[in-house]
Amino acid sequence: MEKRYIKKDSLNGRVKKMAEAGLVYAPVKDGDNVLFQVLTPGMEPLTAYANSKNAPKNFFFPHTEKLMKYTRTEKGMAFSGELAEARDAVLFGVRPCDARSFVLLDMLFDQEKYRDPYYVARREKTTVICLACIHPPYTSCFCTSVDGGPTDAAGADILLTDLGERYLVEFLTPKGEKLEAHFAGEKAGDEADAQKQAITAQAEQEITSRIPAKEIKPILDANFEHPFWNTIHQKCLACGTCTYLCPTCHCFDISDEQKGDDGIRLRNWDSCMFPLFTLETSGHNPRPTQKERWRQRAMHKFKYYVDNFSAIACVGCGRCVMYCPVNIDIRKIVTDISKL
Amino acid sequence: MQNPYLPIPVVVSKIITEVETKDIKTFRLEFLNKEDEANFKYLPGQFAELSLYGKGESPIGIASSPTQPGYIEFTVQKAGVVTSSLHEIEEGTHMGVRGPLGNSWPIEYLEGKNIVVVGGGFAFTTLRSLINYMIHDDNRKRFGSITVIYGARTPGLLIYKDELAEWQKRSDINLNVTVDKGDASWKGREGFVPTVCKEVAPSSENAVTVICGPPVMIRFTLPVFFDLGFSKENIVTSLEMRMKCGIGKCGRCNVGSKYVCKDGPVFTLAELDKLTKEY
Ligand SMILES: Cc1cc2nc3c(=O)[nH]c(=O)nc-3n(C[C@H](O)[C@H](O)[C@H](O)COP(=O)(O)OP(=O)(O)OC[C@H]3O[C@@H](n4cnc5c(N)ncnc54)[C@H](O)[C@@H]3O)c2cc1C
Ligand code: SF4
Ligand code: SF4
Ligand code: FES
Repeated sequence: MEKRYIKKDSLNGRVKKMAEAGLVYAPVKDGDNVLFQVLTPGMEPLTAYANSKNAPKNFFFPHTEKLMKYTRTEKGMAFSGELAEARDAVLFGVRPCDARSFVLLDMLFDQEKYRDPYYVARREKTTVICLACIHPPYTSCFCTSVDGGPTDAAGADILLTDLGERYLVEFLTPKGEKLEAHFAGEKAGDEADAQKQAITAQAEQEITSRIPAKEIKPILDANFEHPFWNTIHQKCLACGTCTYLCPTCHCFDISDEQKGDDGIRLRNWDSCMFPLFTLETSGHNPRPTQKERWRQRAMHKFKYYVDNFSAIACVGCGRCVMYCPVNIDIRKIVTDISKL
Repeated sequence: MQNPYLPIPVVVSKIITEVETKDIKTFRLEFLNKEDEANFKYLPGQFAELSLYGKGESPIGIASSPTQPGYIEFTVQKAGVVTSSLHEIEEGTHMGVRGPLGNSWPIEYLEGKNIVVVGGGFAFTTLRSLINYMIHDDNRKRFGSITVIYGARTPGLLIYKDELAEWQKRSDINLNVTVDKGDASWKGREGFVPTVCKEVAPSSENAVTVICGPPVMIRFTLPVFFDLGFSKENIVTSLEMRMKCGIGKCGRCNVGSKYVCKDGPVFTLAELDKLTKEY
């Protein structure tokens, strides 16, 4: 597919131009954090930043969304679907790990049977522009251990790689090519590939966290009852931070809200770390303590997803490592499992 | 794109209070749109999410059989928010149903075999669906002998009493109804389900047992069937987990890699042996 160069200092302006023409989500500074937000006039999109605090999955799978609305009638209730009409949008500045999370979420939400129309509509209408990590930003980054890489393009429609004075722009999908006009520039030849390869090799070398994530599946297959599971959860507060920040976590709750004669049915992010997640009306809970819940989290990412979709449900972004209030580290857990 | 989260509008056409404690009712639902009825193709053992607006949804096994056109039925015990609200509605109420969901009793596998149906308490619902399906004129020839063992704590807690009486009259079902403890008017069998299974002693020759009931009943009944020579491949049951989406997305009902809502709720014991015991 088409490759181009654009001047480095032109990128910020181009993103703002795109935002004049349509809906653009971009990383911006918000207090001490970097967050993806709708870019409005006067806002500065960041082009050199580490990564956002929140994973950008919320643009396809919002924290809370209406599934339907209903009205009380004399006989009961009448309802109508509430498919928020998805608008064409550009999601600019996604890091490769987070772009990869979209591929993983697609496997679940875009299955042949039971396609999730809410997720799929937004995903189809959104063009993802990925910013390669020429210098992986955190010591907790471990994308290369989970089939990703700092300049990988899985999940992206356009990949931008910083080559020093200029960016290499790679249009990877027809959706990406539609934005060509915004990235007018000199055509790039094979020399670009060589340069990118060198940058990739360097970036991969800068990743210091390496964990045997791909080796533990057979160990997990055989060790559901291992005493090891008694050793990780004790200090866990069941706060759910790890799952809310995780780009691949997809669990949700469905609940109704009613006001007078009108109501809505909502879906909200939920978390396997919460005791109520699996509590049945009888009082029975198949995952009664934080031990079973942590086992579920580890198993889901490194075994169940692999069983069902042949992919590890972790992209190595390191958010759960950085933000867990009691420093539970998934990298250590994976490494410890590999030694069972 | 079809939206699997939207319920199908139905009207409650009939409500039957099944038991003397009044906390188990059967709801007959009719589709408000004819084409929805045609699209709602199900098999015994499947379930659906019953939808009460403002309250939420509950997964409930389909108690009617696809051989009964025009309506679907659900037998619901009053438990928490949704099921208690359901118990308060009246005939004529409009509500929603989302489904059919999940797999079904393994109908194809059951064909040509002798079928033993074992049920306890109100978990008899999808077994009733299966029985009505098998004894329908169009289907009866496809199955061998049918033995039913069904128990409740007291005579007042037996559900589907009229139907039990009908089945009793038929020569092509061996029906054994039992109660843990009878009362003055009870003329039938007394005894726990596992004991009755031992007494009835159905042959395991070319036979499959389909069993559903409270965990204690299942725990004590399974050894009886192992002793009778039933293999784990030929004992089938249905699991319950807390559910929301019913379509394998919300992430809460898995047992190991399997989602009970999508890959279940029906599993053979052989399949369950391969799963973790987290249910
Ligand atoms: C496949 C399947 C078939 C079932 N069939 C029947 C049936 O035929 N008759 C019957 O009376 N009950 C049945 N149940 C159990 C029934 O779903 C629960 O009793 C019911 O959901 C409780 O909901 P509630 O709103 O009254 O209680 P609350 O405690 O207020 O529950 C809130 C929500 O949690 C979920 N939930 C809670 N407990 C359960 C549970 N045990 N199983 C699944 N979801 C749960 C539901 O989404 C429910 O709406 C079945 C469950 C499953 C999984
Ligand atoms: S598990 Fe942790 S490191 Fe892996 S994708 Fe989720 S938040 Fe990132
Ligand atoms: S962030 Fe840490 S404390 Fe909070 S639920 Fe996750 S592992 Fe437990
Ligand atoms: S109920 Fe949502 S995954 Fe099974």
